[in-house]
Amino acid sequence: MMIDFFIAYRPLIDLFLLHTGYALGQYLVLRSGTFSIGSAGLTAIGAYTAASLTVKLGLPVPLSILVATVASVLISMLLAWPLTRLRGVYQAIATLAFVQVVLSLNIYAEGITGGAMGLSGIPKAVGTWTLLISVAVAIYLVASLNNSRTGRAFDAIRQDEAVAVSLGVAISRYQLLAFALSGALAGYFGALEAFHVYSLEPNQFGFPFLVAVLSYVVLGGRHSVWGPVVGTAVLVALPELSRPLADYRMLVYGLLLILVINFMPRGIVDTWIDFRKRRLRVQAAQVREKEAA
Amino acid sequence: MIIQQLLNGLIVGGVYALFAIGFTLVFGIHQILNLAHGAVFMTGAFVALYSVLAGLPLWLGFVLGVIGGGILSVLIEFVAFRRLRKQGEEEFGAIISAIGVNLILITVAQKISGTQIMRFPFETFPVVVYEFAGLRVSALQLVMAVLAALLVFSITWYLSKTAAGRQVRAVAGNERAAVLSGVNPNFVFFQTFFMSGALAAAAGVMVGLAFNNIHFMMGEPYLLRGFVVIILGGLGSISGALVAGLLLGMIQTLSVAYLPSGLTDTIIFSLLFLILLVRPHGLLGRPEAGLMRGR
Repeated sequence: MMIDFFIAYRPLIDLFLLHTGYALGQYLVLRSGTFSIGSAGLTAIGAYTAASLTVKLGLPVPLSILVATVASVLISMLLAWPLTRLRGVYQAIATLAFVQVVLSLNIYAEGITGGAMGLSGIPKAVGTWTLLISVAVAIYLVASLNNSRTGRAFDAIRQDEAVAVSLGVAISRYQLLAFALSGALAGYFGALEAFHVYSLEPNQFGFPFLVAVLSYVVLGGRHSVWGPVVGTAVLVALPELSRPLADYRMLVYGLLLILVINFMPRGIVDTWIDFRKRRLRVQAAQVREKEAA
Repeated sequence: MIIQQLLNGLIVGGVYALFAIGFTLVFGIHQILNLAHGAVFMTGAFVALYSVLAGLPLWLGFVLGVIGGGILSVLIEFVAFRRLRKQGEEEFGAIISAIGVNLILITVAQKISGTQIMRFPFETFPVVVYEFAGLRVSALQLVMAVLAALLVFSITWYLSKTAAGRQVRAVAGNERAAVLSGVNPNFVFFQTFFMSGALAAAAGVMVGLAFNNIHFMMGEPYLLRGFVVIILGGLGSISGALVAGLLLGMIQTLSVAYLPSGLTDTIIFSLLFLILLVRPHGLLGRPEAGLMRGR
């Protein structure tokens, strides 16, 4: 019974795991108070570096994944240097430009990337288990980061930069760290995707991809680590629930985005956590009143 | 040859400017980056096309498209931005909300058109080419240039010379102070969003006619180029968007003509990235527009 379910929904589970990885990468930069939406470009760099190293140069798969991840981290850190000096909207536009540059270079550099036709004949080396373990490790790492001094510094920066600075938080250094980790996640999961799907196509990491990943985080929540996980689960599973939902998938995404940002701007998970906390506090107060009486 | 290219670029650039002025207007006045602007552009082309297919004359289709774009843009403000504005969540929230609107409009257009590429019937606009001092200009290009100039001129005139335009600029300067001195902010929002949408739709109809290639995704490349124009010109600056639009049109046609094909987008978007690094307030924007972090 359990096995049947697993086999029937395996492609969906794989999709969910890969996209959870991307969502976590996007989540990290947003959490550190930068409005970068460049992770689509970093994912493309990870995927293409890994695939071309193995297909064109015959490098072993794990080594390609490692090199691809390192490349994404370096490029993400290069991006961070100018970006952390700009303000919100400008960061979003600059990273959008970065995504477009990566996309057009991928189409142009035919010798390395296969151009508009894409790369094919990539060995399939990544299965569900690899993805599952990777996502589990990523969630664990991000969660422990959140509970550390760094996580609290991120919160301070996001809520009020002036206060954060006056408390001695070195904003650029923490945001550089967020960019590096986000680049690592984006590049690593991009590389996993390359070895999971046999072929890559440049447009798969364009504007629609960027919008999807951003939607996961907005819907799920931008504070708790479970936000991006839940957001991805909901948006990946939604089209499977019924045929009309699949036909109008983008319309449903759009409606959800508008509704969530207007009526539940903190996302599903963070709103729920708040709600729980408030109820616990009310209960505790009631207990205290009873004891006093 | 190069002068012919520059002339073609100037006309393409006029369309970019028309598109980007509405984009930058809404940002300059309301600090909202309306990512659904490309979908309004596409809707304008759709309305004009379906009007012509239904047997209406082209000029009426153009007018209907422009009005339709304006109304759509006002509706977008009402549905997607008004609530966020009251919560003070313009920056992040409005971008997300606008992405949502964009997805909805694109999906609806896709379903209506059956994912087809559509064209205006042959000779909807008579194909006439004039030769002047060795330069070739089509009648359509001339009409586009004149219309674009006329629209830009009337918007600037409206904003700088009329009482209603002064109210708009008062809100751009300081919304609270404007409201205290009796300006109705909702009416100002109505005006800016209507103008912005009407300009985008006008650009959409022109592009639809000029390239005769109308489909549900046609707004996206213009939205992406719109970013380049408004940053190059300076976010919120109308004259900047005009200059930058014309410039981008020329850069693009020259790059297509003289550089390896396929590198055009790389050049344009690297340019955008570079401007943000060295001169984030663009050519004509105000440097104090609050674009760097206060640190």
